Amino acid sequence: MHLVRDLLDNQVCDARNRKMGKVDGIVLVLREGRPPRVAAIELGMSTLLCRISERLARFAARLERRWGISDGEPVRIPMARIKRVGPDVRAEIDADATTVYDWERWLDRVLIERIPIRGGGTGEPEGERK
Amino acid sequence: MKNLLKVALGVVTGIGGFLDAGTIATCAQAGALFGFRLLWVVALGTLCIICLSEMVGRLAAVSHHTLAGAIRERFGIRYHAIPIVAEVFLDVIVLSAEIGGVAIALQLLTGVGFPWWSVPVAAGAWLLLWRGTFDVVEDGVALLGLVTLCFAVAAYKTHPPLREMLTGLLPSLPPQKPAQYWFIAVSMMGSLICPYVLNFYSSGAVEEEWTEADLGANRMAAGLGMSFGGGLSAALLVAAAMVLHPKGIDGNTYEEIRLTVSIPLGQTGATLFAVALGVTCFGAALQVALNLSYTLAQAFGWNWSENLEPADDARFATTYTIAILVAAIVVAIGFDPLKVTMLAMAFNAVVAPLLVLPLLILMNDQDYLGAHTNGWFSNTVVAFCTLLAFVMGIVAIPLQFMGGT
Repeated sequence: MHLVRDLLDNQVCDARNRKMGKVDGIVLVLREGRPPRVAAIELGMSTLLCRISERLARFAARLERRWGISDGEPVRIPMARIKRVGPDVRAEIDADATTVYDWERWLDRVLIERIPIRGGGTGEPEGERK
Repeated sequence: MKNLLKVALGVVTGIGGFLDAGTIATCAQAGALFGFRLLWVVALGTLCIICLSEMVGRLAAVSHHTLAGAIRERFGIRYHAIPIVAEVFLDVIVLSAEIGGVAIALQLLTGVGFPWWSVPVAAGAWLLLWRGTFDVVEDGVALLGLVTLCFAVAAYKTHPPLREMLTGLLPSLPPQKPAQYWFIAVSMMGSLICPYVLNFYSSGAVEEEWTEADLGANRMAAGLGMSFGGGLSAALLVAAAMVLHPKGIDGNTYEEIRLTVSIPLGQTGATLFAVALGVTCFGAALQVALNLSYTLAQAFGWNWSENLEPADDARFATTYTIAILVAAIVVAIGFDPLKVTMLAMAFNAVVAPLLVLPLLILMNDQDYLGAHTNGWFSNTVVAFCTLLAFVMGIVAIPLQFMGGT
């Protein structure tokens, strides 16, 4: 497996094929006298921004905490739960049990729910669309 | 039968969805200022957009990945951050130009100043996105866009000389105003190969769940639809060349551009022009706003679909809501929509290479395309497009100052 090509920045879907985000970071464990081991993938704005600017990442994490959006910590998924890599990365977990939808829920609460006009759409569950 | 319907719909979408504020403004000005001399740009731009549309459609049908998503995956966030920032900026300007185009159309029909129309138009666009589904957005507005056939009728009524038109298909420099000539040529290319069209096309293919079985329909829809759209753009240029150019009218306002249709077709033509401008700009406004949501959602891996309820993809719905609000403010302040359009088209030319070059690499990646990677012909065409877009990007900004409107 080529970590950058087959894992980093690829789309992550949960066990029900719901989009969780992109692989924003890869966690490696360094071992004495042995090659590093891929321990987990990370998803989250702070991890993503860290690759562009650490200061920006700290600012974003602070903002997420201050506005009550999330705890500012990335979601970490152990490699043992990754069932497929490639352009689509499949994780055997339930996205709802993680904090990946914190922004979604926050925007829903502060904006979408307050708009008095009901939104349209077919309402098909995300995981069943493909 | 299903594929035939898909092709027919694709062709109609190509006709109705091809023209927008950018193509109408640039093609009319090209004809008004330089007669048939810039027809070659329409031909070249149409060939480019046919190839590019077919490619992004093929990418989506085979890999089920959109252009924006695939660029993030293959080139990483450090590269992708550049086109994302550029596209967000560009899409908001283009959205302002399109909302401004609808507002001007309503001004032409009612006499009420265009800034007053910005909020109702923006509210209408937002409501359609909020309540509608992808099919409503794409097919409904595209069908209404058939009113742009009036450009072809207007061009026919002016009896243009065939020999001079054919001469215009070969590039030639005008005796005067070379800087303005190249600026308009650049703006025309920018309007014909809009970056938003590429990602919107691939997102639409994923929304409609295209598969490899749809590749033939994709090829036909891209080829025929865009050809008809390009033909209507050429017709508008020809009508402007026959009506405005001999009178020395520059086409610097939409009122002047309206003469292109109203002189050959009378009062009916004046109304048809306003309706065509309003409908095409409204359709484009929906596409640009949606594209902004698509681009961000696919770059960051959010839930996305125009077919989902806003509560199920809150970030997606919030993005187009904010974009429409900002664009409406720009128009309400009173910026001249035509000037905003020309500026947006020049920026299109700057941003295009940031997306076209990665597309070329992706189209040769077997992980995404399997056995459907580009052949030598497609590679040559896209390489040429990339080079052309790059040169356009380099010259667009200086020309804006030397010869812009």
